[in-house]
Amino acid sequence: MRTERNIYSFLRKNHLTIISLLLALFSLHLALTGKREFERGYLLKEIFSYTLAPAGRVVLSVEDAAKDVWSDYIALMGVKEENDSLTKTVLALREENNRLKEEIRLNERLRSLVDYRESLPYYTTGAAIIGFNMERWTRTIVVDKGADAGIMKDRAVIAPQGIVGRTLDVQGSTTRVLLATDLRSNIDVIVERTRVKGVVEGNGTDGLILKYVRQVDDVQVGDQVMTSGLSGVFPKGLVVGEVTKIEKGGDNFFKHVEVRPSMDIGKIEEVLVLREDAFHY
Amino acid sequence: MREFLVFLPLTIAYFALKSTLFAGFPLPDIPLIIVFYMAYRKAAVAGVLSAFAFGYLDDAFSGGIIGTSSFALVLIFLAAHQVSRLVQFTSPGIRAGGVLAAALVKGALMYYVLTVTNVDVYFLSRVFLDAIVTGALAPAVITLLQKLNAFTAPHKFKDSEN
Repeated sequence: MRTERNIYSFLRKNHLTIISLLLALFSLHLALTGKREFERGYLLKEIFSYTLAPAGRVVLSVEDAAKDVWSDYIALMGVKEENDSLTKTVLALREENNRLKEEIRLNERLRSLVDYRESLPYYTTGAAIIGFNMERWTRTIVVDKGADAGIMKDRAVIAPQGIVGRTLDVQGSTTRVLLATDLRSNIDVIVERTRVKGVVEGNGTDGLILKYVRQVDDVQVGDQVMTSGLSGVFPKGLVVGEVTKIEKGGDNFFKHVEVRPSMDIGKIEEVLVLREDAFHY
Repeated sequence: MREFLVFLPLTIAYFALKSTLFAGFPLPDIPLIIVFYMAYRKAAVAGVLSAFAFGYLDDAFSGGIIGTSSFALVLIFLAAHQVSRLVQFTSPGIRAGGVLAAALVKGALMYYVLTVTNVDVYFLSRVFLDAIVTGALAPAVITLLQKLNAFTAPHKFKDSEN
């Protein structure tokens, strides 16, 4: 009886610590067992796709509205009356000019994307990037198309400049894309000039590491790296990047090869998502 | 529970802004500051669950490995609670130092989990940058949290805020 009372007293006194440690262990369990199982947390992510994506759009809309208010009203305050008409005309023309320039740029980008899409022997879906996540060790983006548009998990995401990544979480109207530069990304590649095979992994920043290239393999700075088509996610022949640095590896067996991605994710706004498995082609 | 409900919209708004307007910017780690604030002020089971939930949200929103942030935040909650028995986090300087240390611990714990999961981690300098930004802005954020908490609290508890 007294022992039970002592146990009860101990639990009551240290309940916060015990619950904290249990939750920490549970979190560790989630992290260690779920590293390759991206279905974990599906329900929560599904809910977020219907709450955060609209919230993101609202934030961007508010930003646009604030910019419009600034450029259309506040910027004109204090202008002398005799110059009002002329200034308004000039501003309106400038705004229209900027809008038209933006339209032209958008048109050029979309034309380029459409030309590229038509040149591909795969079914693809065009999507716009609506969110970036450049965390410490995570590189993902969110695009505005999801399962409703026929997008599936583990499909290649590409742009005319090269590969972007692969689809990670697909919700109804949005999809999270794991960028090639993410630490968890692995892509089977081939060096175009010498056909040396390897695996490109993200380094967690904006670069790539080409792994499993032996000391005897012929790889030089400036060599183009292409997808090999072996992984099943990326079709063969897509541009990955260019070799920028080669060092003797620490194990004296493999070389340490750094690759600069062919595409700057910060400069693209639209991507193509492959709808069919590369093996089906 | 009330504090969790009050801080949840703030956290979601933070994640929404972080992935849209401020993508790539070194923003202060608001969920970490909230967890630190809840731990030193009035640690309770609801606080631990909030730390877990905010960590889970962080991982879910950022697309990271689920469990890394929640693991770090729960342990930071526990550590901050224990330290608060020895140190009074009443002045801005001490709060900034405490949050800076917590941010470094969070980075180290996440680094540890990622290393254990066989993910090659090459880049650690961002941890220090984020920790400095988070620590520097923590006093102001905590003041805002106090005001928000006082605004939503029943009137009789308002005078007991520290």
